[in-house]
Amino acid sequence: MSSFHGLEMAKQALFAQRSALHTTGHNISNANTEGYSRQRVSFQTASPYPSPGMNRPGIPGQMGTGVETGVIERIRNKFLDLQYRAENSKSGYWEAQADSLHRLEQLMNEPSESGISHTMNQFWESLGDLAANPDNSGAKSVVAQRAEALANAFNYTAESIESQRSNLESEIDVKEEKVNSLVRQIKGINDEIKQMEPHGFLANDLYDDRDRLIDELSGIVNIKVTYTESSESSPDIADGLATIELADSHGKSFGDADNEKTVLLDGTNGEIQELKVHYSENEGEKGAVSKITVGEGDKVQAFNAENFAASGSLMGNIDSYGYLKGEGDDQVVAGGHPELHQDLDEMVGAFMKEFNSVYTDEGAQNQDFFVMEGDTDSGQAYSIKVNDDILDNPGDIVASEDGYGDMASDLADVFGESLADLDGTSVNKYFESLIGNLGVKAQEANKMNQNVDTLRSQVESRRLSVSEVSLDEEMTNMIKFQHAYNAAARSMTATDEMLDRIINNMGLVGR
Amino acid sequence: MRVTQGMISNNMLRNLGNSYSKMNTYLDQLSTGKKINLPSDDPVVAMKGINFRREVASVEQYKRNTNEVHNWMDNSDASLDKATQALQKLRDLAVQASNDTYDSEERENMMEEAKQLKEHLIDIGNTKVNGNYIFNGVNTDEKPIINDDGEVEIEHNNKKVMIEVAKGTDMQANVNPEKVFNEEMFETIDDFIERLGGDAEEPINQSIEDIDEAINNTVNARADLGARMNRLELVENRLDEQEVIAKATMSENEDVEVEKAITNLITQETMHRAALSAGSRIIQPSLLDFLR
Repeated sequence: MSSFHGLEMAKQALFAQRSALHTTGHNISNANTEGYSRQRVSFQTASPYPSPGMNRPGIPGQMGTGVETGVIERIRNKFLDLQYRAENSKSGYWEAQADSLHRLEQLMNEPSESGISHTMNQFWESLGDLAANPDNSGAKSVVAQRAEALANAFNYTAESIESQRSNLESEIDVKEEKVNSLVRQIKGINDEIKQMEPHGFLANDLYDDRDRLIDELSGIVNIKVTYTESSESSPDIADGLATIELADSHGKSFGDADNEKTVLLDGTNGEIQELKVHYSENEGEKGAVSKITVGEGDKVQAFNAENFAASGSLMGNIDSYGYLKGEGDDQVVAGGHPELHQDLDEMVGAFMKEFNSVYTDEGAQNQDFFVMEGDTDSGQAYSIKVNDDILDNPGDIVASEDGYGDMASDLADVFGESLADLDGTSVNKYFESLIGNLGVKAQEANKMNQNVDTLRSQVESRRLSVSEVSLDEEMTNMIKFQHAYNAAARSMTATDEMLDRIINNMGLVGR
Repeated sequence: MRVTQGMISNNMLRNLGNSYSKMNTYLDQLSTGKKINLPSDDPVVAMKGINFRREVASVEQYKRNTNEVHNWMDNSDASLDKATQALQKLRDLAVQASNDTYDSEERENMMEEAKQLKEHLIDIGNTKVNGNYIFNGVNTDEKPIINDDGEVEIEHNNKKVMIEVAKGTDMQANVNPEKVFNEEMFETIDDFIERLGGDAEEPINQSIEDIDEAINNTVNARADLGARMNRLELVENRLDEQEVIAKATMSENEDVEVEKAITNLITQETMHRAALSAGSRIIQPSLLDFLR
């Protein structure tokens, strides 16, 4: 062994401890960086001396030759990442649902003194007053006004539902753009990693960046990430290049009828397929989501909202916004908002029909009490209005026919009668169950949101437990490395003193 | 399990957040006085809430209607009372006149009085309350008795004025005018006036009988009205009770029990303070405080 071997060994030790200190400093600096995984230098013993062979020296062996820095790796558990992304996509979905149902509840504003049911009660009361005072022009005016208030309440509710829908449409567009943007960014990082790894480096910070982007993406659509080697010369423990596919709720890839999987980013060749949400242009379909495509040209894969199994906040929004369901003649517009609007339309339509038939059938008036005006394609609730003739001349309202105020009485009864158009329930009961259903759905979404959020934070907690920087730990490590550094420096001094004795003090007998 | 400062502070923040949101719920409950603010808080309570509100509204509506009926009946009763008095007066006149001791001048005076009483009865028959003629069946905007300078033209509508006072219960509010202010009565009066003009006694005695009949009719109508008024009172009592019950049920359904909400709020506040205190004790010290 060479005489200066000790110096060399101490020097290597100093370098090693210094790099460890440096990494500790890096960890401390990034203690609060989101998505950062703590890094650790793994020391390895340098190749011991002597190695076996025919020309080996006859000294006792093997002797250690000090430390060398192996790799600097990040401490991260990939399996926890997998779990987190699965919970994250569910959380994204339920959060979106809970949010939009909450907004619908606030819109309907029941039970309260200012919702539709209160307005219906007031109209009913005015008819009751008219029935007791059928010749009173004041009572007739009140009936006309309350009827208008009711029509306005329906109009306003329908408008608000549609306006919330258009907000949802904007959200869907933003999320679609986000998905594509995130995929592009991940590809960018893939490219950088591809340049880094073949040199034998572990691009830890780039891995962290990529994982953070993938986490964000998983909240919007459920994805499956696989890694491929970036090159032959990359370290074995390198993460490699990420390939992102859409995944269903079991974490398995899915594709449309002709394909087994839907790839958003192919790590092996860097190809990106863009996700696009398509809206229906047909009349009466209210711009519902017709299909979701991934890719272009002959590689395009198309899904309708029902078999797009990648859950997440995008699907959460689409479910609320409305999508086309079923085939051919059975095709309907499904979804939280459109279905509520349809139910409301059904109720208003049945109410209007029965009310008008009672008003015109028994009497000789050839005018409808309620009419539809304006954009009648938007539904009955949106366009129901009181006949202008009645608003202009409320005194013309016929309140009695064969009896005293019996017409007004019959009109008031319309609210409580079983109507065939509503499958045998009355307007009152139908509205109650409309609100009840909305409440149940919202309650379920809230509960699911809470549950999934709890699960997600548990996984996040475990993730942090593995990867997060603990300042105390870093402090302790710092002391450890510092001591080791000092000790290495000391050992260098010791070796130096030994060499000094040999070089300067040996062979000088008697001087 | 390895626990880091980040995890502890995240945990603390999340728990504080939960605690705040619970306090928010109790605060909402106390401020609005309602257990639920959105249907999702309790869908069944929400549905019932809509139902009960309607119940209360309908009971209130029926109470208004009974007031209306009361109005009709009170006025009808008062009018019939006046009519009876007028007819009594006529009867007295008839009794007086049937006494031959009166001469033609006095008879003239009586005739004038009788004519006045006839006008009075016509007025009563045309009683208008709140713009409605109460003695004309359902034709409340048409005058039933037209007085054409002494000639009386009567056109009555005999339909009952039915007003709904409870679910499925209609009550007749008016008096059937044909039973009281009918042609017979006015013919009786006309005959009487005529007989006063003439000399014969017998006819005036006849008038006494005829007027008696008219009085009986009026009294009978009043008795019928009285029976209906009794029934109305019973309905009113029942409605009062129903109103209390409906409001109580509505309140039980959705109103928050204030003691419960306040207790919950105080408990939550205490826990919140404990969480704040424990959290701050834990997240503050670190190894750095103790290293040289």
